[in-house]
Amino acid sequence: MKAYVEISKLQKSIDDFQLGPIDLIIEPETITALVGNNGSGKSTLLKLMVNLASSDSGNIKLFNTTVGREDESWKKNVAYLPQNIIGMDAYTGNTLKALIEILYPNWDNALFMELIKLFDVPLDKRFGKLSQGVQQKLNLALTVARNTPLLLLDEPTAFMDIPSKRFFMDILVDWMDKGDRSIILTSHQVEDIKKLSDYLFVLRNGDMIGNFEKENLTENYKRYWLNDQLPNTTIPGEVSRAHLQIVSNNPEVTEIFLQKNKIRWIDRKSLELEEIITLLLTANTSSHYR
Amino acid sequence: MELPIHLSKDSREPIYHQVENQLKALIAANHLHAGTLLPSIRVLAKDLEVSVITIRRAYQNLEYQGFIQTLQGKGTFVAEIEKKLKNKVKTTSVYETFEKAVETAMNYDYTIEEIEEIFQEVLAAHKKGD
Repeated sequence: MKAYVEISKLQKSIDDFQLGPIDLIIEPETITALVGNNGSGKSTLLKLMVNLASSDSGNIKLFNTTVGREDESWKKNVAYLPQNIIGMDAYTGNTLKALIEILYPNWDNALFMELIKLFDVPLDKRFGKLSQGVQQKLNLALTVARNTPLLLLDEPTAFMDIPSKRFFMDILVDWMDKGDRSIILTSHQVEDIKKLSDYLFVLRNGDMIGNFEKENLTENYKRYWLNDQLPNTTIPGEVSRAHLQIVSNNPEVTEIFLQKNKIRWIDRKSLELEEIITLLLTANTSSHYR
Repeated sequence: MELPIHLSKDSREPIYHQVENQLKALIAANHLHAGTLLPSIRVLAKDLEVSVITIRRAYQNLEYQGFIQTLQGKGTFVAEIEKKLKNKVKTTSVYETFEKAVETAMNYDYTIEEIEEIFQEVLAAHKKGD
């Protein structure tokens, strides 16, 4: 299957912030979470993808068409939900729907109404009068119902209440089950990442740390409690250490080393995804990483 | 439908294998009958908090071994399987459990004779309970 997104050597600097170089491929039927600390460039990356910002160098292809050129055929295949939308306050949900649905040939009105009902969004009130959470729900309905193969969601659940977050996940799962679709989302909600994502694309202060399959992280990060004092040298696979504990992202080589050096461990435990993300995003572990 | 699958993150058994084996056990023990519609790959991935890549791998292996069947556009169903295959799954899982128990005991430096003694005691306790 042809990739939906192909990004190569993408770079962008804004004042003293430098994003990239970034390489990323998004295959059909996948959900990728963009994960990073605040100001790591996640939103900028999404904006670059839909041509709302222009890159300094590198290339973005959506559905085999280069973004930023005359041919804008990719646009009908992408729905983007930004974090903040300006200029909507004066319009009601009904008006916004009418404005958007004519732009997207695959607009699914039944799905839109289903989401509005599920989220209990009043369509006759002006957008500016709605609470942040309800605005977010309306925006999500206006985006998902476009029924494009690629959905880009920037912090879609930040203001949502707990039941709505659950509905949101079920909606996206059902939406994915229709086939030939992919989602890229940014989120600081671990629950979203755990339940929805197949891949984690990790950015730290503009630098690409990597694109990881979720189980590749959760199955490979292990914490060992050792019997004896830690050796002074770095143990193969080691990403952090404290007292008698070490964390490894390559348990196989770590255990071979420990056994060879007759260092016994009394316990071995997998790390939670939160901890793994924290390690990936904490600068002082970078020198040990891979 | 939510499946009673419990993943152990600390196990040395890869996640896809845990999913595969637990589904097999559910089918062999008749908890999932032939013709039962299984959750889609994406739904099971969400429920178990793993990627679709992992679930797809488990489903593909189960399909290859004849435990489940995917019908284009309809979904994945539990297949009709022979009694012989069901029995094999049951026997294998009992054997594996015993082997693991023996391994644990040997890690604690028990002798074979001592392990046998423990085993007899456990069995005796079960007999009494009947």
